[in-house]
Amino acid sequence: MRKRIRGALLLGLTLAVALIVAACGSSTKKTSSSTTSSSSKTTSSSLPGKGKPAIALGDENFEEEYVLGSLYQEALEAKGYTVSLKGNIGSAELTYKAFETGQIAAYPEYTGTLLTAVANITSPPKSAQGAYVEAKSWLQKSGATMIGPTPFADSDAIGTTKKYAAAHHLTTIADLKSLGKGVTMGGAPEFATRSQALVGLKKAYGINPTFVPLAIGLFYQALDSGKVDTSDVFTTDPELNSGKYVVLTDPKHVFGFQNVGLVVKQSTASAEGPAFTSTITAVNNLLTQKAIIALNAAVVLDKQSPAVVAHTFLSDNHLL
Amino acid sequence: MNPQLPIAAGGPVIPSFGGSGKAYACERANGLFCWHWFSQNWGSVLWPALRQHVVLTLIAVAAGFAISTALALIAHRHRWVERPVTAVTAILYTIPSLAMFELLEPIPGFGLSRTTAEVALVSYTLLIMFRNTLTGLRGVPAEVRDAAAGMGMSPRQILVRVELPLALPAIVAGLRIATVTVIALATIAALVDDSGLGVPILTAINNDVFKTELISAGLLAVLLALFADGLLVLLNRYLTPWSRARLA
Amino acid sequence: MNDFVQAFQFIGRDGQILGGPPVPTLVHLSLETLKIAGIAMVISLLIAIPIGLWLGHIHRGSFVAINLGNVWRALPSLAVLAIGVAILGLGLDNVLLALVVLAVPPIITNAYVAVDQIDPELVDAARGMGMTGWQILRKVELPLGVPLVMAGVRTAALFVVSTTTISALTGYSGTLGDIINNETSYHLSGVLGAAICIAALALLVEALLAGVQRAMTPRGLRVTRAAAPEGSLAPAVAEPA
Repeated sequence: MRKRIRGALLLGLTLAVALIVAACGSSTKKTSSSTTSSSSKTTSSSLPGKGKPAIALGDENFEEEYVLGSLYQEALEAKGYTVSLKGNIGSAELTYKAFETGQIAAYPEYTGTLLTAVANITSPPKSAQGAYVEAKSWLQKSGATMIGPTPFADSDAIGTTKKYAAAHHLTTIADLKSLGKGVTMGGAPEFATRSQALVGLKKAYGINPTFVPLAIGLFYQALDSGKVDTSDVFTTDPELNSGKYVVLTDPKHVFGFQNVGLVVKQSTASAEGPAFTSTITAVNNLLTQKAIIALNAAVVLDKQSPAVVAHTFLSDNHLL
Repeated sequence: MNPQLPIAAGGPVIPSFGGSGKAYACERANGLFCWHWFSQNWGSVLWPALRQHVVLTLIAVAAGFAISTALALIAHRHRWVERPVTAVTAILYTIPSLAMFELLEPIPGFGLSRTTAEVALVSYTLLIMFRNTLTGLRGVPAEVRDAAAGMGMSPRQILVRVELPLALPAIVAGLRIATVTVIALATIAALVDDSGLGVPILTAINNDVFKTELISAGLLAVLLALFADGLLVLLNRYLTPWSRARLA
Repeated sequence: MNDFVQAFQFIGRDGQILGGPPVPTLVHLSLETLKIAGIAMVISLLIAIPIGLWLGHIHRGSFVAINLGNVWRALPSLAVLAIGVAILGLGLDNVLLALVVLAVPPIITNAYVAVDQIDPELVDAARGMGMTGWQILRKVELPLGVPLVMAGVRTAALFVVSTTTISALTGYSGTLGDIINNETSYHLSGVLGAAICIAALALLVEALLAGVQRAMTPRGLRVTRAAAPEGSLAPAVAEPA
């Protein structure tokens, strides 16, 4: 009998501990979905988002997209909207498919990538504004639209280590032509097939490197370890400020123009009310080149959580 | 090369996000385990992932338990059911998790959702729990069943008052294996449902193989499984005091 | 449904992308997957079988052997691979290490139980007949233990094949998991095709090992009961919680 009581007590204790831990946990809400009294301007009853249908945001498979997703989510939630964020869906192609099939209602996208990877247009736009206009009108053909663009642009580029660039006298992408297949180039798998990527580079500059597919977050590791000689990089990568890497110039603008806008269905945007569009626009207007690089540095280098970084940025700029 | 579009005068406030990096020296160097990162991100990254993982597991195990118990009760009454059920659940169990999650995704109504994750996880619990429950029920000695019938109990009473209690050790053993299995496989669920401990693992791989996050999330998954296993061992001991008495 | 039709077409094309650059064939990726799994299994068998059998023979170390099996079940493949990558970096060594860590425990546990649970009277009779310890192990314990040992090997093999494909998520390329990790290039039909291949591969390995088990089981034991226990699950049912 005593043994049974002891066993029961032990079990009860364990369950109690579990319940306490669970209760403590549920009060520590993820910062991105916090509903603390951060909306200092208006009382909760007059928030424009209250009562509007819930929004499913999504983002693509790299850090800058996580930051953008969190920024939009938190800014909208501060206005009373109910927002869920499906993170890390995949590449642009996959995320658009999730948008098309209704699994997400909106996601941040780059104008150039939308046009070449999703819309499959063949004649690239000639300016940043032109890219945005063309992307938006393509989306409007299927009942969607784009709220943007951001001041910053994040396009691909070809980066290499300072050592390799010095050894082979590289300043521009065309310099790689003479190295032929002897130079390795890393990139995400889709880099090999997109026209604003390797396919376009081959056509414009006559280069023919050996392509090595890599996970997006591992580009710089591969460059450092010598696994690849050159790699696709993003122009807002914080690592590029370290001085260890050289970005080869792209005088023919193969990599195009890549400002960001929120892709969203027109019906969703109108159902959510004008505050939806104005909130997104307010966030977009804050995102200068300097700002996004600072955000990226905190997330990529310091390994801070995108949600926390977004929260700090938005509250310092009075959007929370 | 980076065409900017015109912005509002003055530009945004750019916070320092924790200073020039001295506090983040361990993270920047990608040390094996940065306590600073762990304590800073416990509340925003690790604990939510752990909670989501527990929820994923509980739903899958509960659903799997219900289905497999029902199947086992049917198979106990009608012997011919056992073969096909074992065959189907065995095939489901054999399919590697990576394949299973992907195969369910294109089915309409599934896609990238909690449903896809749960259905896949449930399929891994069925074989174990079905087999254990059935073995437990069958393991009740015929004499005991006869004695109960002799005492005037109906078949349902025999089931509820005699067979199920005696089958408890086997049932809980199956529950135990299934729970630990689901906890392990739920890390892969991050592929289709953005929740659980698989999320920080996949994020960390993609973030320059960030070791601290990998080790933190990985160890949490292991510890969760051990904890759940221990809890179920205690549960079994509590529910079946007679099995302990026999050993004592 | 259309996706599944296209998936089989993808398999029929040996994994090539329509209108795309040449990629490693399904056959090649499958063989690579099997190769890695095979190397890991050989290493694991070399480590685990001798230890497990010996511990069972001398009836020692039951605590370690049984609890190793319990701890093993708690190891999520992805987590083990992830921790391995954190410590050893990307590469085949790290994958093999993770695979061995995952494969050794069930083999040890089953090998131990297989020999430990043999009817002691049989062992006594053999000793009475004049057999040495070695001979008892080889001629009595091993043959009688084949079902459980092989069941452990089968469980381990399944886990190894499964985890080999998962290694694609942790940065190792060269297995069928690559296709699953790259839906952008291969499209859903390719991913489904690869998933079907992985499932088929696992079933094939399972069937093959089941055949090996039957071949290795002494004829007298081959009359198996209908509900033949799958090795590591049998102790779980029999063991006192």
